[in-house]
Amino acid sequence: MNNPYLPDIATIKEIIQETPNIKTFRVVLNDQSRMEEFSFKPGQVGQLSVFGVGESTFVINSPPTRTEHLQFSAMQVGEVTTRLHSLQEGDQIGVRAPLGNSFPIESMKGKDILIVGGGIGMAPLRTLMLTMLDKRDEFGDITVIYGARSPQDLCYTYEFDQWQSQGANLVLTVDREFPDWDGRVGFVPAVLTEEAPSPKNKVAITCGPPIMIKFVLKGLKDLGFEDEQIITTLEKRMKCGVGLCGRCNIGTHYVCVDGPVFTYAQLKALPSEL
Amino acid sequence: MSMLEELKTKIKDELPNLDWVIGWKQGFDPLQATPHFMRTEQDVDQLIYNPLCAQNLATFLPGMKDKKVGILVKGCDSRTIVELLQENLITRENLVIFGLPCSGAVDVSKVRKEIDSPGRITEVTFDGGHIRISTKQGSSSLALADVLLPKCRTNPYAMPVIADHVFGQEEKAGPCGQGESPALEALEAMSLEQRFDYWQYHMDRCIRCYACRNACPMCVCRDHCIADTRDPHWLSQETDVQQKWMFQLIHVMHLAGRCTECGECERACPMDIPILSLRQKLNREIKDLFDYEAGVDPEAVPPLLTFKVEEANINERGW
Amino acid sequence: MAAKTFLTHDDIPTWLDTLRDAARVLVPTDVDGTVKFEAYDSEREIILKAQATAPPKEAVFPQTETLLRYRYYKDPEHPETQSVDLKEDLPEDKVVVFGARPCGTRGFVIYDRVFATDAITDPYYKARRDNTAFITIACDTAEHTCFCHWVGSHPADSEGSDVVLHPVQDGYVAHAVTEKGEQLLEQAGGQKASSDQEKEAQAVQDRVMEELGEAPDLSGVPASLLQIFDNLDFWNDVSAKCISCGACTYLCPTCYCFNITDESYGLSGKRIRTWDNCMSYLFTLEGSGHNPRMTKAHRLRNRVGHKFSYYPELHGGVFACCGCGRCIKHCPMAVDIREIILRAKETADEQSVSA
Repeated sequence: MNNPYLPDIATIKEIIQETPNIKTFRVVLNDQSRMEEFSFKPGQVGQLSVFGVGESTFVINSPPTRTEHLQFSAMQVGEVTTRLHSLQEGDQIGVRAPLGNSFPIESMKGKDILIVGGGIGMAPLRTLMLTMLDKRDEFGDITVIYGARSPQDLCYTYEFDQWQSQGANLVLTVDREFPDWDGRVGFVPAVLTEEAPSPKNKVAITCGPPIMIKFVLKGLKDLGFEDEQIITTLEKRMKCGVGLCGRCNIGTHYVCVDGPVFTYAQLKALPSEL
Repeated sequence: MSMLEELKTKIKDELPNLDWVIGWKQGFDPLQATPHFMRTEQDVDQLIYNPLCAQNLATFLPGMKDKKVGILVKGCDSRTIVELLQENLITRENLVIFGLPCSGAVDVSKVRKEIDSPGRITEVTFDGGHIRISTKQGSSSLALADVLLPKCRTNPYAMPVIADHVFGQEEKAGPCGQGESPALEALEAMSLEQRFDYWQYHMDRCIRCYACRNACPMCVCRDHCIADTRDPHWLSQETDVQQKWMFQLIHVMHLAGRCTECGECERACPMDIPILSLRQKLNREIKDLFDYEAGVDPEAVPPLLTFKVEEANINERGW
Repeated sequence: MAAKTFLTHDDIPTWLDTLRDAARVLVPTDVDGTVKFEAYDSEREIILKAQATAPPKEAVFPQTETLLRYRYYKDPEHPETQSVDLKEDLPEDKVVVFGARPCGTRGFVIYDRVFATDAITDPYYKARRDNTAFITIACDTAEHTCFCHWVGSHPADSEGSDVVLHPVQDGYVAHAVTEKGEQLLEQAGGQKASSDQEKEAQAVQDRVMEELGEAPDLSGVPASLLQIFDNLDFWNDVSAKCISCGACTYLCPTCYCFNITDESYGLSGKRIRTWDNCMSYLFTLEGSGHNPRMTKAHRLRNRVGHKFSYYPELHGGVFACCGCGRCIKHCPMAVDIREIILRAKETADEQSVSA
């Protein structure tokens, strides 16, 4: 019987310090055939284990189109992430993945794409964006509005040039003025409103802190986006990751199985317990 | 006018100035009382007061610090209020205290065992120091003194030590302060090994539900208890007796000299573990060391919330 | 269905002794005044006159269960690198639970729809479930807190049981419900039950049903609970006396929420699954500090909602409640879930009228 609680053992191949409190881990499953067979869809998550400390949920933020490693980014906030941050390249961790649903990428084909991210909320958006950039001709315009509190809180900065060269229009913003910052200044929702993208033939995908999402949703609605055109991903405290342990539900929906990806229309139909 | 009617009238007078008045009403059967949060005159009409009203309602107060609350207290419950005031966990101005005389509170779980009939109880009455319980099969009468909560014997205050309105008169018939705790006396008589075995035996059936902790009015960590958190990781979530016992020890140490022996921990325990005796033991130690009794003087400072350079009964230099 | 068997009270210990050869036999046992399921010991009395304090939940869903063990190995050649080995800990014991009431047994049928489905199977649960048999005793009395008939069950419900014993004057009229049950009952001895004994068993059942009284119609409750989801005044009101402890959840035969944590001992350790309590603040506290269920009102709303709305919505209208009433009887403050769902329905109906 397949044991959903049993992680694969994986080796950390590379660690990237993204921001003062966010690190990215590039990992490879030790079982070579498991790694070769590993398939997932953008938006799906994994449970990373530091044995002896516990598990935490992270989105797989590498795209399925790039299979040399699986990438996860973790902000240091609790027990597991603190221990993760202390690990070195070559250390062993556990991976239970893929879990949960994914972005409805088939339905985005042929459409213009608007990605709105804040802070570490860029992680799930990265996998989606890179998947689309790797199949560039299947999608229309890809615009990315990405913000953080300060320039040093932006993740994946070393890739920005590459994203743009692959065809993403990147709009970067930070909350206030900083020396040597030549991007935009202002909160993400405000920049969204300034940019005023047209909702025509477009899908908007947003992820970030709850307060940012709240105002981005409002901004998108003001711009005329329909609820079905807006997609977001939710975060909840999770343990089992397979819909059993009972804590990540919103009404009948379990974020670990039925999510983390929801359209705004789906979210509105759920009980208000975010 | 009966005392209950007087009480209801007074509550109705005060009700317009208050968010709630907390009392008791009948619960799921005539033997069960349950806390009653009164907001309307109709609510007040459901109020009961008898020896079944065991819950210490002061437990709810720290969670309602900003509300204007009326509260019904028995003598022992009133000590909780004093202790909460001493520790600044509640605000006196926001409270209206209705003080009630107590002739002992019934241990409902003991009664259910004594009557040995799991069926439905149709009526409960009190007369002359007895409780009479009727079921379809017949009725049985038990001496109140035999079915009181363990706290009743040791708590010397039949009348509230603090109140805005006092009802009834001190009932000398009550068992308050009539003796020591039998469980504590039994424990004291045991050797250390026997005590250890005793607690191993009893704590084994603990289900880690923390009813004891959450029913405790003096438990201040609330949502950040070391029993649940992994930071610090002092306890694991395993259900072995070491974890369960460790929690009790931590709780008891934290309550030394603060516990007013209201007995809610033991009453709340669904597995009937005699944990009040532990709190009583620590309080006796505090009494011996500091000559202090928790929850009687709103102006006093609990001894473990302060320090003296030289304690009268602690010989710090001589050992 | 096979013929019914009559067992005298004296047949029971002999039967249990026989069953003990092949399985761990759990029976309701008095532990200092509380009744819980413990390994059968012929020296100790089996308490069958009333519902046990704790249901036999641990037989299939232990409060602590080791999911896996890990061990780190240091490579002597390269001490800076470590490898790690994992070992699953799947349970293999055979268990017979004797003397649970139908409500306590039926709890596992409610678990089955979650833990052993086409989409996901919990191998630990499944292994224990397959290896556990239930010899259940129909009720001969109804407590004030009993409400199994509200939630689609009754005092002689055989759902989830392998054998059901119906109490009569001098013993039990027993019948097997499953093949596993037939094999168990064959080992009991006894004699064929007479038609009078069968009638007596039926009469007991009818009497208890009558004691339970009329059950309210709860069919609209799942929708009502969603309708008043945002009515926080309602939830504050019904949770006012709740102290947010876990007595209700841990004594509930249908509560299954759990936690997973690691414990380490040097280079090795284990990952354990333990019961968790939705009434605890920490249950949904997120790393960011955000908590979607930050007050006891939010948490009680989820507890009641899970049992009487979300679960039935997902599982063909079946409530995740077996009506045993332990949550009511053992609640330190006597919070009554029956009262909450009836008030919820009433409040939703009032809202509909005024809307």
